[in-house]
Amino acid sequence: MAESRRDGRGGQDVLRRVGEASVLILISLADGPKHGYALIQDIKELAGVELGPGTLYGALDRLERLGLIDPLPAEDRRHPYRITAPGAAALRVHLDSLERVSAAGRLRLQLGGI
Amino acid sequence: MDAARASRLIETALRCYPARWRHRHGQEAAELAALLMRDGTPAGSIAWSYLTGAAREWLTPPPGRLTALACALLVAAGSVGISAGLLASAAPARAASASQARGHAHCRPGVPVPLPRVTPAAGRPHAITWEAGRDRSC
Repeated sequence: MAESRRDGRGGQDVLRRVGEASVLILISLADGPKHGYALIQDIKELAGVELGPGTLYGALDRLERLGLIDPLPAEDRRHPYRITAPGAAALRVHLDSLERVSAAGRLRLQLGGI
Repeated sequence: MDAARASRLIETALRCYPARWRHRHGQEAAELAALLMRDGTPAGSIAWSYLTGAAREWLTPPPGRLTALACALLVAAGSVGISAGLLASAAPARAASASQARGHAHCRPGVPVPLPRVTPAAGRPHAITWEAGRDRSC
């Protein structure tokens, strides 16, 4: 069971329990810093998910507490965030894990002939 | 819903957050709500999202406070346990002393009376035993 939470290189998937919103935020920040409104727009575009503003701030605070994102100096009233090195590493581990699960699922569907 | 009413609704929802959250995100959150409303998101849906976010914020204490709370609970539980243990170990000895005093009230004054000894016994935390060769009565 513990093995399933780790990737092949021994990194732990810390994003397993943070929720979908946090993972989507990290994916959105992977190509550069963004503030709240830009994050909502980008996530809507890339995943078709409309993140509520309350959910967004909760997830941002959680990710910041975990050291996975960093707030940048405010521009007017907007606070941009950027992904940190541990954040990028955690995202990579999580995406690898999702890929393995996805491949296993596809294989089983194929074997089951469904 | 007119703009003024929608704005009041959002402000009310934002007031439900703890002060530290409002201090940090309040202005940006109000601006974000205005931008979302401009894009066509209903004010009610934005306010609802902020309300549920505020509830989560109140129900989830920050990690520092959670650690302090856990430490306080541990200390309290430890104190109660130690007090209960002390009371439990002192009660049989006190009871034995009292019954000893009552039982030997008729004895001659000045004659030394054997006192019960409280010693640990297997299976029980403490047991009262009498010294060998001495009778309980006078």
